[in-house]
Amino acid sequence: MIQLALSLPSWSDEQPFLVTGLALGGVYALSGVGMIVLFRTTGVLNLSFGAVGAFGALIAWQLINQSGMNQWLAYLVCVLFGGFITLAYGMVFGPALANRDALVKTTATLGLTLILLGVMDLLWTSNGGASRSISLPTDNHGFIVGQIQVTTTDIIALAVGITITVVTTLFLRYSKLGTAMRAMANDREITATLGVPVRRVEASAWFGCGVVAGIAGILLADLVALDSTTLTFLVISSLAAALIARLSSIWITFVAAIVIGVVDAAITPITSLTNYRDMTPFVLAAAALLFLNRKRVLSLARQEF
Amino acid sequence: MSTAELTSKTERKAPATAPPRIERGFYPRAAVIAVVLLLVLILLPQILSLYYISAMTQVAVYAVVALGLGVLVGRVGLISLGQAAVLAIGAWVAARLLFATSLPYEVVLVASGVITMALGTIVGLPALRMRGLYLALITLMLAGAITVVLASLNFPNGGHGFSGYNGGLLHIPPIRRPSIATTDPAYFRYSVVVAVIMFLLVLIHVRTKPGRAWAAIRQSEPAALAAGINTTMYKLWAFALASFVTGVAGGVLAGAVRYLYSIDFQTQDSITLLAVVLMGGAYSIWGAIVAALFLQLLPAILNDVGISPDWLVILFGVGVLQVLTTAPTGIVDQMPKDIARLFRFIGGRGRRSAPAKESVQ
Repeated sequence: MIQLALSLPSWSDEQPFLVTGLALGGVYALSGVGMIVLFRTTGVLNLSFGAVGAFGALIAWQLINQSGMNQWLAYLVCVLFGGFITLAYGMVFGPALANRDALVKTTATLGLTLILLGVMDLLWTSNGGASRSISLPTDNHGFIVGQIQVTTTDIIALAVGITITVVTTLFLRYSKLGTAMRAMANDREITATLGVPVRRVEASAWFGCGVVAGIAGILLADLVALDSTTLTFLVISSLAAALIARLSSIWITFVAAIVIGVVDAAITPITSLTNYRDMTPFVLAAAALLFLNRKRVLSLARQEF
Repeated sequence: MSTAELTSKTERKAPATAPPRIERGFYPRAAVIAVVLLLVLILLPQILSLYYISAMTQVAVYAVVALGLGVLVGRVGLISLGQAAVLAIGAWVAARLLFATSLPYEVVLVASGVITMALGTIVGLPALRMRGLYLALITLMLAGAITVVLASLNFPNGGHGFSGYNGGLLHIPPIRRPSIATTDPAYFRYSVVVAVIMFLLVLIHVRTKPGRAWAAIRQSEPAALAAGINTTMYKLWAFALASFVTGVAGGVLAGAVRYLYSIDFQTQDSITLLAVVLMGGAYSIWGAIVAALFLQLLPAILNDVGISPDWLVILFGVGVLQVLTTAPTGIVDQMPKDIARLFRFIGGRGRRSAPAKESVQ
């Protein structure tokens, strides 16, 4: 057992995985930030984030491969689809559940997740072994750093993650809409009485989250796989990052997401642990939560069901 | 209860331990349930084909799982998005014991229940310090993690070592069944009996002290604390009970399907399980049976007819949204109300004045 543990892969073995890890971490950060902004504005933790991204990616695949559409146009359709379906959900079920506990609102998004999963399986069945894939043109460009191959897609993924984090932080602090979102996270009713167009701010938050979901869907479909179940539950990694950030801090989400991505990828070449590497988000989030809640005496169960 | 009533009651009642009050209507209800059970046990295996017998065996298994989840969600108010993973653990433990030992099936069932209960309590203990939302998310991540572990660990198939999995086996032996129930119809009866025992176990809990504590916690946890109820212990007890019955259900499942594959336990299954429990009604005991019928009988029927079961997944998603927005107590509670309203409408009484809306608890 000890011998196995000691046979760690060398640094040069690890390097390609670290690149992938950083790229994935960037996308997890992107997703995490999107979910947190929505949560802070509306109190809904959008668990259908991954499913929306998967659906959009499959639509893009369909348009590119079956209808011969220009791929950038198809990706745009995917992103817009993500925005609009999330917006539609938010406008219909947001008000209906507005007074309920955050747990109820989050569980409701599971309903959307199931609907999307069912429709995806109906439209794009996964039997017959037909594997679909999306490959961005940036996959073919890249450069060599030392001995590692870094594709432009990897750079884009990490860059998008960083950009969104920075932009969102600035947006929330300095823009009018961002300030309105922060106010709504604080107290929706008082914000409304101050004359802020609450429904419009909410709509922007929902739409923004959906757009981010679409972008994340395309990137993950390229970096990981174009499979509805895989993409839907990759949201767990972003979720872990958001949990570690207590569903509030954007920068902690970013750091946590990068750490999760890198640790997950770094474990890949370690033969004794590699099969369990997908437990990384769970282990890290559970450990972090236990540590963060160590002083908490009790939690309150709610009569919501 | 006013103070006057309280003091007069204590003055009048002589024995300190009064016999438990049997509520009105208990005996007729119990009789009806007993008759239905007898019909199910005796008649169903005769009239149903083997395909539907195995579907109904699954219904029995998942009714118990739904019951466990119902205790957590409906009675205590804690959401677990990982019960399918707990079921997988129960099935794994049972399969391992069934292959490695020759213990009687009942002992294996209890053992898998106890081991699953221990694991469930270990997970539940730190999780009780978190907000309900965090608990739900942690259980979701746990479900994902266990799916991954199972995919590489695999279910036991008669091999040696801790995992009991031998990847090179050409002829995988089926998981053995109890000696009294080797055929499918007999095993169906066996699983129904086990399910009834689990239901009785939960019923006893609900009707006695833990049930009252859970009701108090669900109503208002600070008030329960102030009344001196050890909320942490009772919440943990709910976790333990839910895990125990789910573990036993896993053992029954192992014998039912006889070959376990990790592909049969996906993360999505935990979510659909929660969906059907919400739809059936997390609060009522019957809701668990309705939930299991949705989860196992409907897909079997659809498969038979040739419709893709994906439509059911969509239905469950719609059901969750519908239940959470309009009928939080689920179909079992809502149906009688809807039917009553329908009758009132037909009777002409409901046309002018809307019936007083029952406060949605």
